[in-house]
Amino acid sequence: MANIFELQDIEVWDGNMAASHALRQAQVDVVAAYPITPSTPIVESYSNFLANDYVDGEYVMAESEHGAMSCCIGASAAGGRVATATSSQGYALMVETLYSAGGMRLPIVLNVVNRALAAPLNVNGDHSDMYLGRDSGWIQIDCYNPQEAYDMNLVAFRVAEDHDVRLPAMVHQDGFMTSHTAQKVKTLTDDVAYKFVGEFNPMNDMLDLDNPVTHGAQTEEDWHFEHKALQHHALMTNVIPKIQEAFDELKIISGREYNLVEKYNMDDADLAIVCMGSSVETAIEVSNELREQGIKAGVVGIRVFRPFPLEQIAEALIDVKAIAALDRSSPNGTVGALYNELAGALFNSSTKAILTGYVYGLGGRDLTKVNIHTIYRDLGKNAQNGQLMTPLQQFTGLRGPKLSFF
Amino acid sequence: MMLENGWNTFEIGSVLRPFEGSAIDVVEKLPEDRLYSPANSFSISVADWRIEKPLLKLDECIHCQFCWIYCPDMSIISRDKKMESIDYEHCKGCGICVEVCPTNALLMFPEQTDEAEALANWPEPENSAMKGM
Amino acid sequence: MSQIKVKTKNLKNFSTSAERFEGSNLLCPGCAHSIIVREVLNATDDNLILAASTGCLEVCTAVYPHTSWDASWIHIGFENGSSAVAGAEAMHKALKKKGRLKQPERTPKFVAFGGDGATYDIGFQWISGCFERGHDMMYVCLDNEVYANTGGQRSSSTPIGASASTSPAGSNSYGEKKNKKDIMAIMAAHGAPYVAQVAPNKWKDMVGKIQKGFATEGPVFINAMSACTTEWKFAPEDTIAVSDLATESLVFPLYEIIDGTELNITYRPKNIIPVRDYLGAQGRFKHLFTKQYEHIIDEWQTRVDAKWEYLQRREEVRI
Repeated sequence: MANIFELQDIEVWDGNMAASHALRQAQVDVVAAYPITPSTPIVESYSNFLANDYVDGEYVMAESEHGAMSCCIGASAAGGRVATATSSQGYALMVETLYSAGGMRLPIVLNVVNRALAAPLNVNGDHSDMYLGRDSGWIQIDCYNPQEAYDMNLVAFRVAEDHDVRLPAMVHQDGFMTSHTAQKVKTLTDDVAYKFVGEFNPMNDMLDLDNPVTHGAQTEEDWHFEHKALQHHALMTNVIPKIQEAFDELKIISGREYNLVEKYNMDDADLAIVCMGSSVETAIEVSNELREQGIKAGVVGIRVFRPFPLEQIAEALIDVKAIAALDRSSPNGTVGALYNELAGALFNSSTKAILTGYVYGLGGRDLTKVNIHTIYRDLGKNAQNGQLMTPLQQFTGLRGPKLSFF
Repeated sequence: MMLENGWNTFEIGSVLRPFEGSAIDVVEKLPEDRLYSPANSFSISVADWRIEKPLLKLDECIHCQFCWIYCPDMSIISRDKKMESIDYEHCKGCGICVEVCPTNALLMFPEQTDEAEALANWPEPENSAMKGM
Repeated sequence: MSQIKVKTKNLKNFSTSAERFEGSNLLCPGCAHSIIVREVLNATDDNLILAASTGCLEVCTAVYPHTSWDASWIHIGFENGSSAVAGAEAMHKALKKKGRLKQPERTPKFVAFGGDGATYDIGFQWISGCFERGHDMMYVCLDNEVYANTGGQRSSSTPIGASASTSPAGSNSYGEKKNKKDIMAIMAAHGAPYVAQVAPNKWKDMVGKIQKGFATEGPVFINAMSACTTEWKFAPEDTIAVSDLATESLVFPLYEIIDGTELNITYRPKNIIPVRDYLGAQGRFKHLFTKQYEHIIDEWQTRVDAKWEYLQRREEVRI
């Protein structure tokens, strides 16, 4: 039996430490992991907990991220609570297995500390790794700060392992900006946190020796489509209600409120910035400043990236006059992913909004309040004229001549 | 049969189960007594793969079990250390059993051969130095 | 540690063992993979947790809507059959510690199967990781010396002079130019408690080694020669005959290495036959029987002789 870790009501943790404590409190059975900047401290803290008897599961120090996720899949199919962490290149290396875990419907929790994908090599934060696994069939939740890195890990286990869901879940946080920035985190006690997550309930477990099961059968043209449809259906239908239920329960036990779509100053907003990660909080500050000046500026934070809450997003943005989608990843040849998702959500609606996109913050480039003010000014122009007055796609925070397209 | 079933009828994750119900005593049960599920390949037949088939003349068999162990398809039925029969549902007609048989008890025949007729007119052994190992 | 050992004193005894691999799968008629899998699974009555890497075995035994596996089995991908089973083994350890096993009185055997493509090439890092970490598992390589499932492309297990689809014989080529990787030496160098080379035609040697492997704690590597009727190009009924040629000519010597150092030769043919006889029985080597390439046959004999000499020396010296 693992030792209890006495936490203070408010700890000062960076995003990595917050995630590690959540993993500890969830009493993970097997962690198979490989270190990579900036997620390494998660696996280091976990090793520390193990060495000091604060966790009593198994810890497999894999020989690569692909090996780590492969062991996680084997462990999860065997039948227990499984988790790991990675970033960037490691995420890219394991991407094959991400699709496997999703297709095999195994409830693994993966902490992704978002970092740029090479080349060029970069250890800092952006969302290019997150975007790489968009279609992998995982539940994906985004955190803006260490408090959320803690809370969302607990939510992830609870939702992923539900027998009506049985899908792996990623908890994203910005590399360095969240993972290495210490902030106040309100904690739950070990008991309360574990109770919220719940006991692990096996399903199709290989270690039920009297009920053998074959995992990972091949499906060819007569079967594949149906299996993938079943997976998509689960993501589209069963996940959002379970996440909402988890959020509701979390509010009861902690007072903290989370929403599928986080709206700030959106009630009568004319101008809206939609973004993810630590940028949300920067945008909120700017939106507050603009509100004081009488400008109806709001922010929509994507909380649940997958399944993408199309209807809730459309609802949040329906009356807005000008919207900016901020993508922290280069789309390399087209408009940004978030731009596309928003366009998809709004296209057939009654929206009259002008939608534009910005590529920003690659490789850890800061998104400053000045940058955001500029974006709101662009939005103001578009809103005022009821048509596109700025380029459709712009790069923000880039040195050199203005880079924009369409 | 299964091809008529839609996406909503399958178990998640393309999971398959070899048995109906609990398989607690699989190793104790002979295949003929096990509750194989329709998803177990045991439940289907590959008889149509064959263009020739082995026939067994039991009175010439010395029950050495070579055919049993070297059959890739578990189609040599041996019970209590004695040869019994060939499982024609699962036999692919590869011919290994005939090659490893040290006697004249197992021979390959064209698939359509009538078994009773063949047994009644069983050929004499070929040059015995060429048979078996 | 507990082990339910199956009687293998003689073949009659062994013939009463329980079958946990089912027929009407998609393997070619005469496939040695099946014979190997049966000899492994039938060697124990313990519960089994199995994995396979993408390849002939996986593709032919678990294609929806059928499975040929009577024990729990998992396939993830090409590289990671070993990791799948290692993860399951870790979960077993964790659940045992936490008192959550459903059948705590029974410890299953963890076995991963992989072809030579998965083992020697694409999955090598994964296996190495599993062995370095010391998981209590067995890895069985089904070595048919090519990527058979996809049409016979060369792997690092393909021996010199074999014509494979990506190293074909031609007017300017005798086929594969590189020597077969010595996987046994590599796995032994991990300090694994037990590694062994087996061939399904020598069932008693093989089953004995499998049982020894199951009784060994820690990672066990078994390299099993799998004579492939389709890719080695011989008639399906000759699988055992060709396997015999391999073991009698010492092309595929049968030995074991304990704790990475103690080597034991476990089969000594009464009459060692020429390598030429082995090569001549397979279509993949037929181009070597021409004036242009026949020197390769002599090189083969020299190499096989040298390897046999080496094995005998190591067996003597015990290091």
